[in-house]
Amino acid sequence: MSDLPYADIQGFILHTYSMPALRVFALKVGQPEAARQFLGKLVNGESEPRLATAPDWTVKPPYRLNVGLTYTGLVALDLPASSLASFPEEFAAGAAARAGRVGDTGESSPEHWKGQLAGDDLHILLFLFAETEEVLERVTAQLRAGYSSRGAMAELSLHEGRSLPGSTAHFGYRDGFAQPTIDGGLPPLMPDVLPKAPAGEFLLGYASQYMDFTYPVPVPAELGRNGSFVAFRILAQDCHGFEQFLTETACQTGFDRELIAAKLCGRWRNGVPLSLSPDSADERILLEQRNSFDYVPSDSVPDAWDDRRGYRCPLGSHIRRMNPRNSMVAGNSGLKHRIVRRGLPYGPPYDPANPGDGIERGLLGLFIGVSLKDQFEFLMSDWSNKGSFAPGLRDTRDPIIGDNSTPGATFLIPIEGQKRPIELTGLSSFVTCRGAAYCFLPSATAIRYISSLPARLPHPGVINNIPND
Amino acid sequence: MGLFHRDTNTARPADTAAPVRKTVQSPLTLIMTIRSPEDFQALNAHILEIQAAPPEKNPIWIALDKLRIVHFARFVFLENNTKLAIITTYDGSFEDYLNEFIDEIGDVFNALLQHMDGAPPLPVQQNRDAFGDYVKANNLGGIEPFYSAYPQATVLDIQAALGEI
Repeated sequence: MSDLPYADIQGFILHTYSMPALRVFALKVGQPEAARQFLGKLVNGESEPRLATAPDWTVKPPYRLNVGLTYTGLVALDLPASSLASFPEEFAAGAAARAGRVGDTGESSPEHWKGQLAGDDLHILLFLFAETEEVLERVTAQLRAGYSSRGAMAELSLHEGRSLPGSTAHFGYRDGFAQPTIDGGLPPLMPDVLPKAPAGEFLLGYASQYMDFTYPVPVPAELGRNGSFVAFRILAQDCHGFEQFLTETACQTGFDRELIAAKLCGRWRNGVPLSLSPDSADERILLEQRNSFDYVPSDSVPDAWDDRRGYRCPLGSHIRRMNPRNSMVAGNSGLKHRIVRRGLPYGPPYDPANPGDGIERGLLGLFIGVSLKDQFEFLMSDWSNKGSFAPGLRDTRDPIIGDNSTPGATFLIPIEGQKRPIELTGLSSFVTCRGAAYCFLPSATAIRYISSLPARLPHPGVINNIPND
Repeated sequence: MGLFHRDTNTARPADTAAPVRKTVQSPLTLIMTIRSPEDFQALNAHILEIQAAPPEKNPIWIALDKLRIVHFARFVFLENNTKLAIITTYDGSFEDYLNEFIDEIGDVFNALLQHMDGAPPLPVQQNRDAFGDYVKANNLGGIEPFYSAYPQATVLDIQAALGEI
């Protein structure tokens, strides 16, 4: 298809920014009209800071700013009831209400979430990506001046992400390989051999990955079209527990602990997939080749090694669960539940010499798709926290992000020539959700629409004493 | 306690000797009401035509072979040919694979549903939620528990164990 209307689409839906700093502002609407005007200023082109839309850049800008609105935020911004009723129910319910479905239970349940993320007062999230700390602070000051003016919004919490050396995440794996290539979008940072994803899998108003089907666009069209949805998640990572698990299972099985780390993830820690290099983290495989593989011979990779049994990459490994590619899975659906992944780690690098430093570290994760239910939630409920979608997984769960708090949680490593797989026991939940939000990602047109909504009369009993400026 | 024994006392589940066997499979007993005798005639002819085709040309078999979530499926006319039942046992939750199901077998349902009373808006491909609601509303609930000889085995598990995939 022809290029998408980049200037209308929020930048991080289509674009990997690769910036080292992220600050997420969790905000509550104070004065709806002032809040709408603040949002409008981000897209009127007259002043900084500005909303980042998707055009690619020739000179890398110093910062990128994106906006997410929760359902209660749309209510607080006084959207008409007809618009509110046109949003999907999982978004309207919100991340806290849907926690059980995605496995946010026990320590991950909303009652433990921080920064007031579980409450109805969470209305707006600003995602500020920056090249330097100085830029981050300068734009933060500008934003604060804007949203504090006339009581537009109040700050509930801030969340800081910073890149780690070598583009790794906290468990030490190089990250950022698998991203869908969106038809009509920007070329991917990392070459991807899988078929292009239709635009309507990531943007409202276009044909989706399903036959003759476009996801319903919230009304009016200027509000819904070119928008998308994101699940924002603060995911704390238990690095010490993870490393200990590797050591203990290496002892039990006689396997090298790095091989176990690779089996759990599906990639060696340098990002080389087991599918391409089952025995070693072969550095000769170039970075740009590390996403060019499939688990079975397919149209994408006709000469792929046939790993239908998972002898190289276990069927239950993290990357094979989250993106089974052309593996045989229930519903013939391996290519139909993709997500765009953005975000940055938080907290200092884990130091094995000082394992009990008491510092929380993890990931500020953004998981983007046109349907929270069919993409993010499906991945968590069906592919992460169940084993029934692929043969032989029994009731195992994703070994890295799954809810493995149940006693007896196991991970299976199939071995060629052996009837039964090796069972690793002693798993725990290495990732804990510390907060989450479901946001609508409005287009620039939608933000203009919202900013031009008429002021409502104050509710009875409320005195509007905010002076106009 | 026998498997088919229905407990009539008030004991809590925790007090019973037999643990509940949670099955990965689910039953579907979809009962659809046929609009008229003429609709039955047309429907019957259509289903017979589909079922008479060899497996590689039967659109239902082709679809179910691709989906790999349905163990068994059959059509039964009920109540003097005024109703059509589709009775299946499938893996997981119907909602989870509703989109995939519609993509593979939606046209078969478009053909069947045009003869049904209270049918959802067609084509089902463009009215997915309404189709899901229709199936839910017309699925007869069984008397629990649902028995399975192999409660944890999916279609994929069985086919892999048999070396078929």
